Amino acid sequence: MKNQDYLYLDHAASTPMRKSALDKYIEAESYGFANSSGGHKLSRDSKNLLEDSREKISELFNAAPGEIVFTSGGTEADNWTIKSLFDSKRPNENLVTSNIEHEAVLASADWVSSNGHQTKFAKSDKNGLVNKNEFLKQIDENTKVASLMWGNNETGVVQPVKEVSKEIKSINSSTLFHSDVVQGIISDNIDFHSSGIESGALSAHKIGGPKGVGAMFINSKYKLPSFLHGGKQELERRAGTVDVPGIAAFAAALEEQQSKFDEEVGLMKDERSIFEEKIKNSLDIKIVGESMNRLPHISNIQFKDINSEVLLIQLDLNGLGVSRGSACASGAQKPSHVLEAMNINPKFINNHLRFSFGWTTQIGDGSKAADIVIKAAEEMI
Amino acid sequence: MRILVAMSGGVDSSVVAAILKEEGHEVIGVTMKLWEGPDGEMPETGCCTASDSEDARKVASKLDIPYYVLDYTESFSKNVVDNFTEMYAQGLTPNPCVECNRSVKFDHFIEQAKKLNCEKVATGHYAKIIKKNNEYELHKADYLDKDQSYVLHMLKSSDLAHISFPLGEISKPDVRQIAARIGLKTAFKKDSQDICFVGKKNYRSFVEKRIDLTSSGEIFDISGKKVGDHNGIHEFTVGQRKGLPGGYETPRYVTKIDVQNKNVTIGEKNDLLVSSFVVEELSCVNNLEYENLTIQTRYNSEDLACDIKKLSDTKILVQLKEPAFGVAPGQFGVIYKGTKVVCGGRISSKVLENVG
Repeated sequence: MKNQDYLYLDHAASTPMRKSALDKYIEAESYGFANSSGGHKLSRDSKNLLEDSREKISELFNAAPGEIVFTSGGTEADNWTIKSLFDSKRPNENLVTSNIEHEAVLASADWVSSNGHQTKFAKSDKNGLVNKNEFLKQIDENTKVASLMWGNNETGVVQPVKEVSKEIKSINSSTLFHSDVVQGIISDNIDFHSSGIESGALSAHKIGGPKGVGAMFINSKYKLPSFLHGGKQELERRAGTVDVPGIAAFAAALEEQQSKFDEEVGLMKDERSIFEEKIKNSLDIKIVGESMNRLPHISNIQFKDINSEVLLIQLDLNGLGVSRGSACASGAQKPSHVLEAMNINPKFINNHLRFSFGWTTQIGDGSKAADIVIKAAEEMI
Repeated sequence: MRILVAMSGGVDSSVVAAILKEEGHEVIGVTMKLWEGPDGEMPETGCCTASDSEDARKVASKLDIPYYVLDYTESFSKNVVDNFTEMYAQGLTPNPCVECNRSVKFDHFIEQAKKLNCEKVATGHYAKIIKKNNEYELHKADYLDKDQSYVLHMLKSSDLAHISFPLGEISKPDVRQIAARIGLKTAFKKDSQDICFVGKKNYRSFVEKRIDLTSSGEIFDISGKKVGDHNGIHEFTVGQRKGLPGGYETPRYVTKIDVQNKNVTIGEKNDLLVSSFVVEELSCVNNLEYENLTIQTRYNSEDLACDIKKLSDTKILVQLKEPAFGVAPGQFGVIYKGTKVVCGGRISSKVLENVG
């Protein structure tokens, strides 16, 4: 099957680069290839491009340019904020997060606790929502960092980030409030300052930018310790030659995304509801978090009598690409920690698939995807 | 025909995928992930390792066929690994490859293939399926050095209808040649010999890590006289020579393990001769047959002429025409008529008559 005939509904995992981003990448690589830290004209060209990109991105999020630090992606930004503030000389400081966070946050939390700090988890309810009060209850005078994702990457359920940020400072004014907004930026408008987020993780490839590029938003009142040690790049915080063409492409992708935001997200929403309605009418399924406020691009479906490991293959063979839980190195697919945290009945936990729409979604995709799913499922029952 | 091929990453299953693709079939490759370490990583040695599944993926890519990894770890851990440790704890000699085929691999694999609209599954086993009238028979491979019909004895005619063993009539050197001709990287990869989940480690330390086996007992000679003590019956298997009390003119072997009383009996080599024993958990490919039979009591061991007597639907008494060594409770006994597999099951520890 040729790739253009293949229906791609795994945008939450990654998206192709937008043409504007790819064009920008190629253009930037031709004149902005030089090391942006050098002292000659070509370096200055590169440095100018880097700072222009930083400005553009910061404007889109209503932040100051100095509050955007480029990273290799969302995972690095999560690791940076969560790990770098803990110090073994202050072992009583703790971390608060939720049990449905992305692996980048959970594994960083493991690291923090393996270094002797307490890590506290607010639990998700059965709808995939972390209750605001549950989260705030965990915060105490020793909480150094608190981290709550904007929207869950498997269910799409939007978490009470704004509600938490409003009250967190009254419990502990020195707690840094971090949020992984990697999925959030795909289909929600995010303004870090007005949402009370002090540190955020962003990834370029989820919105049509290149892979391997991301950013951390960090409120100007904080200066995090360096994460990679070496030269003085990236506002002296992250060593390593800066990927200027990648960053320029990230900025171009974000600009295009923002200019088409209502149109694109509107389409994701419409196609998702057509998709969900159609399969609901034909199959015995449950939509995870259906009654909740969900990011419009994600649909997590529980199939009553069908193991999704084989269904995923059947869909792939029929030209529809979706995903299950998180993929391990060998490609075997495991049940997700998010569904486990939601106390999904173990009988059905292996019966879930995530369908995620995105910027490449076109009119008709939801209906076409539903037809493929219904046919495959009916053959398997 | 759409065929689901089990690809371990080794040369045999790689060539199976290639042959079927060349024959014009729609081939889908699958690696069964059977075992993983505590952090979900695949083992480093033995078969089914991360690098093996990487090899399988490369072969699938070269053949331009869809390829997937399916997770069998839960069933494998329960049916094969737990069983392996429990059997050692009971002083029995497990055969994890047979256990894997009969409890984990084939049933589930055939079921998944049906869901994917595949007419057949294929594996790289060396064995032959012959259709006679409406029945499917399982036979030894033409290339006897590699014959694996022993580990496949539990497949029934109704299973065989959905299975293809394309290597049944091909020799291993030919398989390697085919692999080299079509440029498969795995052409000269070494055959795996280790138990996949134990790897190169000692299986006893693997067992000891998983269950507490510190239950000491006594060692007796054949006349019933106590000759020593031991730290746990898992340290012994019938036929074992190493690690026994010394001081005899001729070598001593473990001849019997009494699980209940934790006693081990040792004797001379001739005390290991067995002429009749019970095979239980019996599985027949087609109807049971009674004439001109032979038995293999270990993988690829000598064919011993025998008679059988049916004790129940799942139990037979095997009478060897000549007493033989090497009949170990826990191993499988597989009955053949010529090259045809008739039935097979586990050699019982309860009724084992020593002669000698």
